[in-house]
Amino acid sequence: MSAVSVQAIVGAAPSPIEAPDVDYATISPLLIILGAAVLGVLVEAFVPRAYRFVTQIAVAVVGVVAAFVATVVVGAGLDTVDGEVTGRGGPTAMGSLSVDGPAVVTWAMLLFFGLLGVLLFAERRLDGGLSAFTSQASTPPGSADERHATRLRIEHSEVFPLAMFALGGMMFFASANDLLGMFVALEVLSLPLYLMCGLARRRRLLSQEAAMKYFLLGAFSSAFFLYGIAMVYGYAGSFGLAEISTAVSSQIGGQNLLLAGMALILVGLLFKVAAVPFHAWTPDVYQGAPTPVTAFMAAGTKAAAFVAMLRIFFVAFGGARWDWAPAVWAIAIITMLFGAIASIAQTDVKRMLAYSSIAHAGFLLVGMAGLTSGDGVTSVSAVLFYLVAYGAAAIGAFAVVTLVRDAGGETTHLGRWAGLGKESPVLAVAFTIFLLSFAGIPLTGGFISKWSVFAAAWDGGAWPLVVVGVVASALALFFYIRVVVLLFFAPPQGDGPTVAVPSPLTWSVVAITVAVTIVLGVLPGPLLDLVQQAGAFVR
Amino acid sequence: MTVEPFIGLSALLFAIGAIGVLVRRNAIVVFMCVELMLNACNLSFVTFARAHGNLDGQVAAFFVMVVAAAEVVVGLAIIVSIFRTRRSASVDDASLLKL
Amino acid sequence: MSDYADYLATYASVAAIIGVGVLLAAGMLGVNRLFRPTLTTPAKLLTYESGVDPVGAGWAQSNVRYYVYAFLYVVFAVDAVFLFPWAVVFASIGWAAAIEMAVFLGFIAVGLVYAWRKGVLSWT
Repeated sequence: MSAVSVQAIVGAAPSPIEAPDVDYATISPLLIILGAAVLGVLVEAFVPRAYRFVTQIAVAVVGVVAAFVATVVVGAGLDTVDGEVTGRGGPTAMGSLSVDGPAVVTWAMLLFFGLLGVLLFAERRLDGGLSAFTSQASTPPGSADERHATRLRIEHSEVFPLAMFALGGMMFFASANDLLGMFVALEVLSLPLYLMCGLARRRRLLSQEAAMKYFLLGAFSSAFFLYGIAMVYGYAGSFGLAEISTAVSSQIGGQNLLLAGMALILVGLLFKVAAVPFHAWTPDVYQGAPTPVTAFMAAGTKAAAFVAMLRIFFVAFGGARWDWAPAVWAIAIITMLFGAIASIAQTDVKRMLAYSSIAHAGFLLVGMAGLTSGDGVTSVSAVLFYLVAYGAAAIGAFAVVTLVRDAGGETTHLGRWAGLGKESPVLAVAFTIFLLSFAGIPLTGGFISKWSVFAAAWDGGAWPLVVVGVVASALALFFYIRVVVLLFFAPPQGDGPTVAVPSPLTWSVVAITVAVTIVLGVLPGPLLDLVQQAGAFVR
Repeated sequence: MTVEPFIGLSALLFAIGAIGVLVRRNAIVVFMCVELMLNACNLSFVTFARAHGNLDGQVAAFFVMVVAAAEVVVGLAIIVSIFRTRRSASVDDASLLKL
Repeated sequence: MSDYADYLATYASVAAIIGVGVLLAAGMLGVNRLFRPTLTTPAKLLTYESGVDPVGAGWAQSNVRYYVYAFLYVVFAVDAVFLFPWAVVFASIGWAAAIEMAVFLGFIAVGLVYAWRKGVLSWT
């Protein structure tokens, strides 16, 4: 189709095309991560098999650390913007990305989670010198081909580039400033995760099934997200969040399109953050996926999707707050209560952590219903703090799950965990700290994060949500305490759980996440200052 | 130009796709229904692009096509690996994770 | 009205091309039909003339090998979508556009190199 015929069809003269002007330094963290992913693909193609796994780890770790340094540099150089609300930084890359305070904080958070995830992926001492990923995904489980591949000690080191692509997608998702970019970012983060879910070495049928469920439901929900984008585009005539915001506040066009679009976009995002009633995939996928992938996914997807959700609903749909706030209230209430009640019935550690993740999505939604601006704890800063504390504890908890094993791999049945306190007191204490953080007990990061989202919601007038949140926390506390009692005081079944001796990689992940959880509970000041200085979203 | 017939058609296609995802049992068919939903979105995009007189929607349709192709590759890879194991692509057979 | 007729007349060349195309194809096939020997035997009506009688139904599963080629086709067909709008504005942007498209094609090339090294492209 030539330019002339495009003009004829559209019926208006298109603006003359100019070469895009991109400030590469500002988006360098994103470019470094995606570059590490592409480099990882080339490593997979050309480096001899014996060195491949180690090279992949090196590429991923160096990429994440370099991107983290670049993020710090970018964050330090952000200009303060004084508008209606104080913010830092602003749109870049022709307005398609917004590198503002919340975006930079989220990048740093995601890179931290990514580094912990890579360390867990790299663990090879637990399963007889092989990683947690299948030898060859193309061989049917239990077949002779599979045994042959295992005997040859073949490994899938593709998980590292896949994780880097997912990480790049998460960072893009959290900073995208137009809806089309958000859709592309959503897919870039989801597609590698679908594949990674199906790569477990043990219990491969469960793993493949988890991958298929996650894929079909994920694709279904992203189609809803996309149709919502189409409706909002029909309403505002643009994908840019700033233009949509202008259209929303001047109330042009048909409000039905806007309402339909907001509802569909909300459905797509609530699926990604695992809020009730869009949570059905969460327990199955968390249970079936390889545990290191579950850890990375639980922390990273939730963080990226929540920041993107806040950005869309605060920046673009801020003028229609009274239309979407009731839906968020209702979903926050049922998510908190359902997550807390359903986790009581669980007998599998990974499913229990999945229901806890659902409950935390509810608490984060409470934060979303809070203040958008002001001197106190705002929604954005409360949610950012919550995401750091929750993500660290979740990665730590799943790291502990990788260590409790028997002959068939990980033992995730809760009953088999009885007596873990005698077998490995250090590990049991670490797991207890994570559980207490999930429950929101003082002196853990979970307490400060719950306090901050409740404070933001209270100041924003959402006190009924705070009341329900406290009730749900109390319900969940009952369950977490029951697990702690099981770990330390219940008689072990049979021989009791055995704890594999991991390499320093997994130990350091557990140690770092314990340290973060406790430091955020005892000395939350620095991080609270940081997330408050990050300010509001800049469009 | 009136956009209503086009948006109506797109909504109809989207609804057919969504219902298909919910009621069909073959993973490949479920997957095709998802693709139908994405293409319904494309129809909306180009319709609104014409109504608003800008090209953004047409560009969006390109991006959606590419994303859909990537989704096809990933999705079929997962479905084929399951099919090799179970000799069946029914989503009902994949029920080990049911509690 | 005459304006409209003039406007339609500009399509005459298109109609002429189509006509010539149809005539050419029909002529070649017709001449073939006139000059070739026609010997009708029952064996000629079989699906294949290879000497082996066809077995089974017309529907068969195609080999899984072709599936990889279908994937590769999808990848390249979809990427070509981006080359068309790029080609339209290429002249007005110049070298920057060429470099950016080279980067874009480079990513696809990386994927292809990966597939090649993993042996996806070899016919086993």
